Amino acid sequence: MGKLDGKVAAITGSTRSIGRAIAEAYLREGAKVVINGRSAEKGAAAMKEMGGGPNLAYFAGDARNQKDCEGIVDFTVEKFGKLDIMVLNSGGVENTAPVAMMTDEEWMMEVTWNLHSVFWGMRKSLQHMIPREAGRIIVTSSVEGKLGKPGIPGYAATKHAVLGLMKSAAREVGTLGITVNAILPGIIETDIVRETGPDSAIAMGVAGYDELIAMFCAESAIKRPNKVEEVAEVAVLLARDVAAGITGTSFPVDGGTMPY
Amino acid sequence: MELQGRVAVITGGTRGIGRAIAEGFLADGASVVINGRSAEKGAQAVKEMNGGDRVHFVQGDIKSREGCQAIIDAAIAKYGKIDIMVNNAGGATGHAPVIDLEDWAMEDSLKWNFWSTFWCTQMALRDMVPRGWGRIINVSSLEGKHGKPGVSIYVTAKHAINGFTKSCAQEIGTTGVTINCICPGAIETDIMRDEGPAAAASMGLTYQGLLDWFASEAAIKRLNTCEEVAAVASLLASEAGAGITGSMISVDGGTAAY
Repeated sequence: MGKLDGKVAAITGSTRSIGRAIAEAYLREGAKVVINGRSAEKGAAAMKEMGGGPNLAYFAGDARNQKDCEGIVDFTVEKFGKLDIMVLNSGGVENTAPVAMMTDEEWMMEVTWNLHSVFWGMRKSLQHMIPREAGRIIVTSSVEGKLGKPGIPGYAATKHAVLGLMKSAAREVGTLGITVNAILPGIIETDIVRETGPDSAIAMGVAGYDELIAMFCAESAIKRPNKVEEVAEVAVLLARDVAAGITGTSFPVDGGTMPY
Repeated sequence: MELQGRVAVITGGTRGIGRAIAEGFLADGASVVINGRSAEKGAQAVKEMNGGDRVHFVQGDIKSREGCQAIIDAAIAKYGKIDIMVNNAGGATGHAPVIDLEDWAMEDSLKWNFWSTFWCTQMALRDMVPRGWGRIINVSSLEGKHGKPGVSIYVTAKHAINGFTKSCAQEIGTTGVTINCICPGAIETDIMRDEGPAAAASMGLTYQGLLDWFASEAAIKRLNTCEEVAAVASLLASEAGAGITGSMISVDGGTAAY
């Protein structure tokens, strides 16, 4: 018997890394799962690696596109009949630059990917969940949702912003059987961090990718990066029926990095 | 069976939150040592939990170092080690506004909530650190982050537990041992029924008024449940909990501001 038997989940940005680990954990616990990503190729690969099966579907879509953020909700309801759990996970560092140097276009890209996408997905999900008086919304924020590092102002600002959005929404739907929470992972060596890390390192004033990882590790108590599985098990907990009394919470998975 | 082969000690585990945590661990395969002051309640809890040789009750009061040591020693004597230490026992009596507060009430609350957590943590770490694996879970409170009038003895002690936890987490971060706090909102446990009326009176409220106040501050407009806390404790105790330390996890229905 799984902890999520009979539940239906959608996870944005989930063909790889954190989203993928959450999807795999949800499948293991008996949920039906819709995974999502921009690349149909990566989507097909993920479907194959995850064993396909009747409980798994892929929705091709870009979190920077409002239609896609809303489309995943419609797709999930059409495919599996409802949406119980929405994990708004897609995000990352698109542009690195100090505030003084950042262009409007770069800024808008950061805000669209990490904040607008969460708002669009959350609004659409709540419109489905509120009449049913049941649901779980889980936002992947970051250790940068409470702290800040030089050179990634867009990422830090938007990861802070989603926490405000999460807290407000949690208060709006608190008596409707819907919880809204955020998970705040520390550094994890995901594909996206490997891709964007070298640029981020330069923007933060450290020598390279390895030094970037070392800097994050040094700030933690455990002196190592976190793991996607550590995030995934928290996502399972927050999705469960027993988590009905946990809402509006910023759940750190950062090896003791954040001071509060 | 995530906790197969693990040994957990839960102070104040015969009823309420501690009991729910103990039952969660038991269901996940751990052996559990529960503790309380009353032998009668202990025997009853062991019987109700029906875990055979995987449930052991140790009578004892955690308000002294000797009392804590006796519990730790008994757990190691019974099961050979301690993998998971849940510092759950707590409460406060003698509530009054600070201007009228008597020393004994502050001292008693600090012993009951904070010193007991310090003592059991220190003793458990001495078993865990050399073995390179361990979980310390401190049951703090919403009042470890916020403050309410009239209950400063409790609020002070719970804040102290949070600070202690953060500092300790930095010390032991690379040892394979984690230490975290769970910060529950109000739950109507036996201890709440016992101590709540006096706390309410110190705030100028009826007991029901106190419960209503807590519920009204939450997004969910109700109190929490022991099972909600136990689910978080099980997560923190699991392998996946290895990357979570120094955290103050709220289980308060959306009450705490941070």
